[in-house]
Amino acid sequence: MKALQWQGVNKLAVGTVPDPELRNPGDMIVRVTKSVTCGSDLHLLGGYIPFMEKGDVLGHEFLGEVVEVGPDVRNHRVGDRVVVSSFISCGNCWYCDQKLFSLCDNGNTNPAITESLWGHAPSGCFGYSHAMGGNAGSHAEYIRVPFADVGAFTVPEAVSDERALFASDSASTGWMGADLGGVKPGDVVAVWGAGAVGQMAARAAVLLGAERVIVIDRLDNRLQQVDRHIGAETINYEKTDVSAELRERSGGRGPDVCIEAVGMEAHAPGPHFGYDQIKQQLRLQTDRPIAVREAIHACRKGGSVFVLGVYAGFVDKFPLGALMNKGLTVRGAQMHGQRYIPMLLDRMAKDELKTEHLATHVLPLDRAPEGYRMFKEKEDGCVRAVFLP
Amino acid sequence: MGRTGKALLIAAPLAAGTVAVAAARRRAARGPAAHRTHVLTVYKPIDELQATQLPGSLREIADGVEISLRAAPGDRGTEIAVRIPDGSSVTDGDVRRALRETRSLIETGDVLLPSGPATTTPTLLNRPLQTATRKGREGGLL
Repeated sequence: MKALQWQGVNKLAVGTVPDPELRNPGDMIVRVTKSVTCGSDLHLLGGYIPFMEKGDVLGHEFLGEVVEVGPDVRNHRVGDRVVVSSFISCGNCWYCDQKLFSLCDNGNTNPAITESLWGHAPSGCFGYSHAMGGNAGSHAEYIRVPFADVGAFTVPEAVSDERALFASDSASTGWMGADLGGVKPGDVVAVWGAGAVGQMAARAAVLLGAERVIVIDRLDNRLQQVDRHIGAETINYEKTDVSAELRERSGGRGPDVCIEAVGMEAHAPGPHFGYDQIKQQLRLQTDRPIAVREAIHACRKGGSVFVLGVYAGFVDKFPLGALMNKGLTVRGAQMHGQRYIPMLLDRMAKDELKTEHLATHVLPLDRAPEGYRMFKEKEDGCVRAVFLP
Repeated sequence: MGRTGKALLIAAPLAAGTVAVAAARRRAARGPAAHRTHVLTVYKPIDELQATQLPGSLREIADGVEISLRAAPGDRGTEIAVRIPDGSSVTDGDVRRALRETRSLIETGDVLLPSGPATTTPTLLNRPLQTATRKGREGGLL
């Protein structure tokens, strides 16, 4: 079958690979009909997460049709249209029972790498390096879905492919940031990053009853999407002093909840960006935590900061003093998709959550390397590139 | 990038590598570490586990190790502790793999296998990673 393969740092190619096989009785094989780029893929592409092998298949956010099921699969049949959580979870361990699905104890076949790096291993993910299980990704014609009864969800007829696709990861991740960040009616919520995850986090905050939701980015086309499709306010950080503006818009208190949806390759105007960039390139720090620093500084006393952006290791100049002295709660997580996807599909069916605008570019899988280039360089207003295998 | 930048790019990983090697040598100079007890929590009440023999690869190494069970606090299930006695041929890696596989068997009835068939190509650069993932359940901190 055809698949998009990582061939080295900043090298992608569409090649021919063996078709996936059922390996466990709870597996199923899905014919991928839509698969989408994610900002976190750029960390793999750029070599910031050094656990990739030449030939690995990328992609973790997808939708498709069931073509084969293992003998233990009960909830799905051949022909079902399904959206699949990007994280692979067993549904039976203590973490799954707590609905912390991305922390599943049994979904990562390579726990040693992340256990050594972080103390404990999160679960596995599709197409996201051998640290996350080395599972073949979704930018391919077919994909193996382990623990299929837990991670795959039949898409209701009322929800289009174009909309349901984003329940797989972006919408789940965004909703988790607002939910576990503790957004309540009346809150002022600030979201750093107007990509798909940031937009979904902002929409979740709106639907959870926040009084004001403010999204921060530098790309006008993305901020225009926020204004048009999400129903939130915007700040362009290249034109405005973000901290001052947030103070002003929150009565001097600062946002109650700050959601960071940027990740380890953050940009910023000013000398601190150069400082972080140099340290990251020299591997003296693995991540550029610019947005996290700003969120912690801006957050109101006793407020909550949720880190949705992907980070790999260690950062410099982390504002621990602000965190401690302002009494902040800081949380983060890879996404617990199984917890949110059924509810999100329901909201999508009711038109409360719309995602079609995120797919600014739709390309055949053969043109996936071009799609990633456009996505990475933000060419032609690319927010997300969707591939059709 | 200027000459200084290139020099730093080369020097920084080398320095980090030198520090890591020195630390490993210091640890080695202390002599072989005694086997410690490996403990893992399974989300299943202790009365259900005591009623049956533990499944999978933990049973395979049972003759070479000492296994004890204890109820975990807060309804978190059962703590399985495995100690390797002096003179046993069982390794720490054997115990980690057996504990992880046994937990998965008890909780899910199965042990997840890696993706397959492989789509990757062996290269000089990815050889260390392939070696590490070939025994992915044997390493780590458990």
